[in-house]
Amino acid sequence: MSHPRTGRALISALAATMLVATACTGGTPTSSGAPTSSAAASATEAPQQGGRVIEATISDIATMQPVLVNDTASGRATGLIYDTLIQQDAKTGEVKPRLATYTTSSDGLTYTFEINAKANWSDGKPIIAQDWLSAVTAVGKSAKTVRKSTFQDIVGFNEFCAPAGAQCKATASTISGITIDTANPKKFSVKMTKVSCPAILDLGGATASPMPTHVFGKYLTATSKAEDFDNAVENTAPTVFSGPFTFKEWRKGDQVIFGKNASYWQGAPNVDEYVYKVVANTTAITNGLKTGEITFGSIIAKDLADMQTVDSVKITKYQSLGYTFIGWNTSSPTATGLADKRVRQALAYGIDMDAVIKAVVFGEATKQVAHHVPVQWAYPSVALEAYKFDKAKAQSLLKDAGWVAGSDGILAKDGKKFNLTISTNSGNTERETLAQVAADQYKALGINAVSKPEAFQGLVTKLTTGDQTLEATIIGWSLGGDPDPYQIWHSSQIPDPSKNVTGFGFTYFKDAAMDKAIEQGRNPTDGNCSTAARKANYETFNKILNENQPYNFGYSNNVLAVSNKSLQNFEPGSFSTLYNVHQWWIKK
Amino acid sequence: MRTFILRRLLFAIPTLIGISIITFVIVRLAPGDPIRLFTFGSRATNEDIEALRHLYGLDQPLPIQYLDWMWKLVHLDFGRSFIYNQDAAALFMQYVPNTLQLAIVALALQLVIGVPLGVIAALKRGTWVDGFVRVFGVAGHAVPAFWLGLVLILFFAVQLRWLPSQGMLTIGKDNWDLLDRFKHMLLPAIVLSLTGIANYSRLLRTETLEVLSQDFVRTAHAKGLHERTVMFVHALRNALIPVVTALGGILAGLIGGALVIEQVFSWPGIGRFTFAAAIAKDYPVIQAGVMISGVLLVISYILRDIAYAVVDPRIGVK
Repeated sequence: MSHPRTGRALISALAATMLVATACTGGTPTSSGAPTSSAAASATEAPQQGGRVIEATISDIATMQPVLVNDTASGRATGLIYDTLIQQDAKTGEVKPRLATYTTSSDGLTYTFEINAKANWSDGKPIIAQDWLSAVTAVGKSAKTVRKSTFQDIVGFNEFCAPAGAQCKATASTISGITIDTANPKKFSVKMTKVSCPAILDLGGATASPMPTHVFGKYLTATSKAEDFDNAVENTAPTVFSGPFTFKEWRKGDQVIFGKNASYWQGAPNVDEYVYKVVANTTAITNGLKTGEITFGSIIAKDLADMQTVDSVKITKYQSLGYTFIGWNTSSPTATGLADKRVRQALAYGIDMDAVIKAVVFGEATKQVAHHVPVQWAYPSVALEAYKFDKAKAQSLLKDAGWVAGSDGILAKDGKKFNLTISTNSGNTERETLAQVAADQYKALGINAVSKPEAFQGLVTKLTTGDQTLEATIIGWSLGGDPDPYQIWHSSQIPDPSKNVTGFGFTYFKDAAMDKAIEQGRNPTDGNCSTAARKANYETFNKILNENQPYNFGYSNNVLAVSNKSLQNFEPGSFSTLYNVHQWWIKK
Repeated sequence: MRTFILRRLLFAIPTLIGISIITFVIVRLAPGDPIRLFTFGSRATNEDIEALRHLYGLDQPLPIQYLDWMWKLVHLDFGRSFIYNQDAAALFMQYVPNTLQLAIVALALQLVIGVPLGVIAALKRGTWVDGFVRVFGVAGHAVPAFWLGLVLILFFAVQLRWLPSQGMLTIGKDNWDLLDRFKHMLLPAIVLSLTGIANYSRLLRTETLEVLSQDFVRTAHAKGLHERTVMFVHALRNALIPVVTALGGILAGLIGGALVIEQVFSWPGIGRFTFAAAIAKDYPVIQAGVMISGVLLVISYILRDIAYAVVDPRIGVK
């Protein structure tokens, strides 16, 4: 699962997929400031109790109901108050038990979970299998969730969910594939219709965080309507919690205040309060970190040098789980050259991405030449073409493809000039600069390239609905926990307005071998979901992309997490920041 | 007076209908599909998107959507936010007090500083004081609010640490901690009031100079009235009439102008909230925001007209 980065928070936190074993490369966090003394303090000193953590966020939360979450801020907020069954290692992405341990049947079709015996709700009631079932039931009943497809492979889910349509049948009153152990109310099994390697992160992830049945059960009866659950007051003011924090107050547009859950099953948090402070922009985050009004937040590369002069903060760098790219419309009726692989390769050789990274993000990124990023285990071990800047090679490839410079210096073929418009979302300075720099470098190849910022809202619709006016688009992906690239790269995801098909395949590139590799990495016919087996498929997939260059894969940014030095045990990683939030403490 | 108010309220209805049509059309003419936008990147299937579009009535023809919205509107149902899944008007109203308190303090600053500055400049015409007020009048207009806001934050908050850099209240402080609220409000209110101070000082200077040259002021002097009486009872009352005229529009201007200030100071007001809703294409919130602001604007103009009549006895209310 992946989602686009918008620069604001209209992005999903639906991520969730699978990793059986781990084989991770790169991505080790590095720090500057005074991390050594800070880390040493965390390791040797007993945590002090009390204090408050203030995290800066640019977007307000929208809901505190995991089933309805559709944005990053809400996803993080619900993560503080509702624990998930499983979690991923913050640095490697390895799947680990959290609320529950799990086993997989030999045929890969049945998962059995057992919730920790100590795990209780904040009101003292035990967290049981029925609470997990309530969450899945809510997804099935809700009219406002967009998570129904997450559980479509559970036996009986499609028969249960409503309203009736292409996926849901609304003919059953229960989900037949979910069985709660009659002898142990904390144990349950889930039967799937087919082997699905990413499924474990769906079943044990945020969408299916156990939901207090004694609170929400009244909205999920056989006669309940969708709006009963969708409009429940507890969705915005929850009352019972399984996570390390409890909800106290939501001052809209300003702050969300959480208190410590003194009876948290993994041990009460050290800090008394956790506050999401909503600020206007990255400048406000930088200022707040300098003045100490904010305990931690992420800054942009432009502010790094300034922040490095501040004594009171610690800077932790790690690679983001995503990348910024230029997507080529390989079926563009206007920029016809993009249909030719040699032209796309020339566009990769013809841009000095290392220089671009220095100019655009001050060197705080790593060049990408394929889909997966180095912190993912799916990142290929085999060598890929690095596409080092080579103007002569780019020109040669363009010439081979039939593009020859005219008297005005512009490349042309069959009497048609090579015009190229690179679109990106306006207001995102980084992408606007990248578009401008890319256009300048392509002009040097003889391509009449221009950059065109346009409103993100319009760009989104154009990209996903098959609007052919876009020739090249700069945008970014935030990748999910599982490396499954189906939604971006499988040919079924290519938009087709004539059939009312929408999707993220806006390069219109397809390759049968690539489709097969994606399918086998997702739903292997031999049922083998091991990391090794999936990685082999993803190497094939990345090699095809690397050779065909439907994107110029751009770069993967570093996350620059800045925290006040008083904050201890704060060790964020590419896959998670809050995994150990109950162990954070403030040194007074 | 009652007839006057009733008539003005009656006239407000076509104004508000006009606002509703313009808002509805502009919001929908802007490119992009709201459902596709807020589900972008999620696993929402085409079916999910179509179901949501149906749920919110977005699959209906535009005239039907408009009539449906208006029908609900007359029943005081502003719809539910796409993003927050909460009542759009109730959401918007939560931000109104935050913006109003900032606007009212800024307005008070404008009057308390701008009016005396203008009067003093008129009385000290041609002196360095007059020169200062006139230069200030131009500078107050010329300095961009966002720039001044950032400079003040860097100086008073980041460098000197005298004042907070953002927000409305220190985290952990009680809502009624007025001193803390005042500290947070000081910088944004100063920036927000700057243009108004410049306006008022210039306006008052001009009006006072004009009134001072009128016959009735000379008569008052000739009658041997004390200078202070002439100034405050005769001259200033007349000079203030245009100020009152400007008041109705200025409150609306302050609320509108607060957008930039709210953005710079992370102030949780209607400007930031509506801006975010516009970016997210949250139709119900944008429409509720514009309609409620429209009603507030109409009310402020009616109040202005009443105040105008009270201040200027020559104007009757019929």
